[in-house]
Amino acid sequence: MADTYLLQLLLNGLVIGVIYALIAMGLSLIFGLLGIVNFAHGEFYMLGAMLSFFAVTDLHLGYWTTILAVTLVAGCVGVFFYHLFLSSLRAADFERSILLTLGISMVLQNGGIYLWTVTPRIVPTPYSYAAVTLGGMQLPVLRLFTLGIATAAFLALYLLLSHTLVGKAMRGLSQSSDAAAMVGIDHRSVARLAVIIGIALSGLAGATLAPVYSVQPTMGSAFVFKAFAIVIIGGLGNIAGAAITAIMLGILESLIGGFFPLTLADSAGFIAMIVVLLFKPEGLFGRGVRV
Amino acid sequence: MKSLLVAVLAASLFATAAMADPPPIHIGSTLPLTGNLAFFGQHSRWGTELAVAEANAAGGVLGRKIVVDYQDNQCNPAVGVSSVTRMLSDKTDVALLDGVCSSVILAIMPVVQRAQVPLVVANGSATAIADASGVGGNIWTFKVNPSDASLVEALVGWLQTQGKADGIGFLGEDTDFGRAGVQAFEQALGKRGLKLASVEYYQQGTADFTTVLTKVQRAAPKSLALYSVGADFQNLIRQYFSMGLTIPLTGRLLTDQIPKEILASGRLNGATAVQPYTAEIDLPANHAFVTAFQKMHDAPPNLLSYEAYETTRVLLDAIKRSGTAEPAAIREALTKTKLKSILGAEIEFDNHNLAHNNAVIVMIKDGKVQVVGLSKT
Amino acid sequence: MRRRPLPLPASAAGIAAIWLVLLCVPWLTASEYWLDTGIAIATFAVLSTGLNLIYGYAGLLSFAQVAFFGLGGYGAALLVTRLGWSFWLALPAAAIIATWAGLLIGYSSLRLSRHAFAIVSLSFALLCGIVARDWVALTRGSMGIPGLSLPGFDAPAHMYRLTVTVAVILLLGFHVLLSSRLGRALQAIKLNEPLAQSQGIDPLRYKLLAISVSAAASGVMGALFVFHLTIVDPSVFDFYYTETMLIMVILGGAGSFWGVIAASAVFSIVPDLLRFSSDLRLTLYGLVLVAAMLLFPGGFAGMLRQRSLLRWKTRL
Repeated sequence: MADTYLLQLLLNGLVIGVIYALIAMGLSLIFGLLGIVNFAHGEFYMLGAMLSFFAVTDLHLGYWTTILAVTLVAGCVGVFFYHLFLSSLRAADFERSILLTLGISMVLQNGGIYLWTVTPRIVPTPYSYAAVTLGGMQLPVLRLFTLGIATAAFLALYLLLSHTLVGKAMRGLSQSSDAAAMVGIDHRSVARLAVIIGIALSGLAGATLAPVYSVQPTMGSAFVFKAFAIVIIGGLGNIAGAAITAIMLGILESLIGGFFPLTLADSAGFIAMIVVLLFKPEGLFGRGVRV
Repeated sequence: MKSLLVAVLAASLFATAAMADPPPIHIGSTLPLTGNLAFFGQHSRWGTELAVAEANAAGGVLGRKIVVDYQDNQCNPAVGVSSVTRMLSDKTDVALLDGVCSSVILAIMPVVQRAQVPLVVANGSATAIADASGVGGNIWTFKVNPSDASLVEALVGWLQTQGKADGIGFLGEDTDFGRAGVQAFEQALGKRGLKLASVEYYQQGTADFTTVLTKVQRAAPKSLALYSVGADFQNLIRQYFSMGLTIPLTGRLLTDQIPKEILASGRLNGATAVQPYTAEIDLPANHAFVTAFQKMHDAPPNLLSYEAYETTRVLLDAIKRSGTAEPAAIREALTKTKLKSILGAEIEFDNHNLAHNNAVIVMIKDGKVQVVGLSKT
Repeated sequence: MRRRPLPLPASAAGIAAIWLVLLCVPWLTASEYWLDTGIAIATFAVLSTGLNLIYGYAGLLSFAQVAFFGLGGYGAALLVTRLGWSFWLALPAAAIIATWAGLLIGYSSLRLSRHAFAIVSLSFALLCGIVARDWVALTRGSMGIPGLSLPGFDAPAHMYRLTVTVAVILLLGFHVLLSSRLGRALQAIKLNEPLAQSQGIDPLRYKLLAISVSAAASGVMGALFVFHLTIVDPSVFDFYYTETMLIMVILGGAGSFWGVIAASAVFSIVPDLLRFSSDLRLTLYGLVLVAAMLLFPGGFAGMLRQRSLLRWKTRL
């Protein structure tokens, strides 16, 4: 019994960590590449979830179709987001990006409350309450799918960044925008692509998690601060770093929560973050957009 | 000549119109409309809106329409004080409703005392509110919802008759609501020589309960008391279900928030909870309320909407009896309240300006929610 | 091009004049709302100026300001309610507690990169909120510590005058510091840290000083604020205050003393002005921010600077 308890906690932690990673991935790309602090990140996640809710209940789309559709829509939103707000910002405009995205976050969250009310909504799927058992441990099916989707997204991002020309351009840009310009990389189009992918990932996270958690306009705020911390600790722009940090955080929270009062688990997370940063200020895995 | 006639006609029409519409009665309401407690604020507001709409449809109070100004306090005492002082500054509001968050209510109590305007609380849980009100304290504050201590006392009393008061584990939100719940349980159990098997708190806004549910599953208390609301409660119940837990549930279950499939599955059968209200209470007045609420807001009422509805009725009744709709007269009238609640009990305020409405004990049997007891708090 | 600050005696006289005018407000209006707003403006002016000192002058984005504010509030509340101290002793004690916290954060994290410092300060502020909520034996958790009253200052007018007076003193102090060597050293550090170092300025020492001073001032205002509300609860650490401070500093123009104070006054009132629509209040507020950021990238002070630059250029 004690054996499976620990293993179950580890499994839970892994899943929670992967969820954090899925949410933080988009932020890591945008923050790492453009140096833009996107405080509205949690709200794009929320919008993805709300859109999935309407897609399933009003348009009667299936589980996988919804996820695909919402991701594509989120990508389009990314185009608008970039052109309307971010194209005029430079990496030095740190503070402007903070206030701008803070304002956008307020508009999205409170506009959402106004339009949709805070009544929590459930996104129905055929797999909502099914679970698989692996040797005494339980794993709900939807979470298994989440693991799969997050892994697929991560692999896709990896392939993009390491094996395509455009990915190389992104990596170059994050290292030095001047040098990148000198070799003919167009800052604007690469940045725009990064934003599109980043927002699309947030939308993907929202759509994937919409059936797992209850959907309501304030659902983004629970994750936003942790996502920021994960991104910085993983190393700015370092996607793999963020993913690994996220998983470690999830496991840490699960283990502590499993043996100590739950409230200690939240503090433990933040204390761990502070300690890590004190010893490794550039993050655990170093900066720069890479995988 | 013709233009003079027209002018006279217009003037007299205008005069009659002005005479026919007496000025409305203004009430202020301070609620958390945004942030983590927006769910409380929203339902509280919906309950008040229904009560006001019903009163206005019946011709208003004292022949005047009721107008409520709902202002957001973000569950933050500073914002609450600022929004309330602003509302009271133009002296049109004759009374204030609510607050929802206890710390906000405690912060605005001195403000309403200075402004001499009655404050009627529907949803705040801190016992400090009633303790500081009424005789020897703040005579302008009134509380309609029963204290958690009395609700849980009723529940534990019931559970004991069923032999289920032992080995209760607690899982609640880390707010004054949740903490009040633990205190209430410890008090009620302590009187009977029992105690809680375990206590766990989660942060409000937590989406993922797998860690704590795994822990609870292993600790295996005889039953689990839940003190949870809104999206948190929904997430908790859904994850409880999909993880296959079978520990009997008790505490303050929001039975109307449980997804239908989970209820129908029968896994929750035997769960016993206490609430100040549940939509399933089989009384004609309640059925009328539920239908009207559903029609107005396209969602079923819960305890928050009910408490706000009842509290607004109490206030409107007091305004009517005051005759003048002046704050001091309304306060007087409130102290003499004797109003039949839609649950059949009589609402009146004790000397700490606290009302003692009924508590409802519900049980889930055969996949359905049934009321098994109504007791005075 | 930077405007030179007014000579000290002139600004001191200006500040004293403003102070006297502000003290008269309770005689002009019996409305508790304006007194409450006045207290909010005074409090935020000090908090934002503190953040301005750390961010606008020293160039360090810090989210810890609200932590110092809340620690001061809780410190004073606990000393008065648990240990029976007089408020007048608890007030400087609150400042000292907040300063220790500032030194702790500063000393451990100032060597970090800009981003790491921001996250450490954010985590610290969030941690304070969590501890306030969960160390129930000490803080009573979410139930808060009610009943904080200052004998003799129960009337809003008195609390208003006290808060305004303390705020004016603190702001004067900030102004003196910023016109002195500290201010110039900080600006040198922000513009080019290695160069400043080569001139013999120890960046760590000056940044630490900036944080401690800022923390002390925030702690004092925190203590006054919670006694004004008569209750302190974990919401004193809400991110809402950090948001508000950032708005005031960035829109006022980071690095501009008067710009930030002006913005504090304006943005203490704006959320209330938007109460005409209680449903869309915060949505409109967000829109205001977005519009302001798109139209005034350097804040109001930045916009004024641009204007005077333009005038200067056209004159040439």
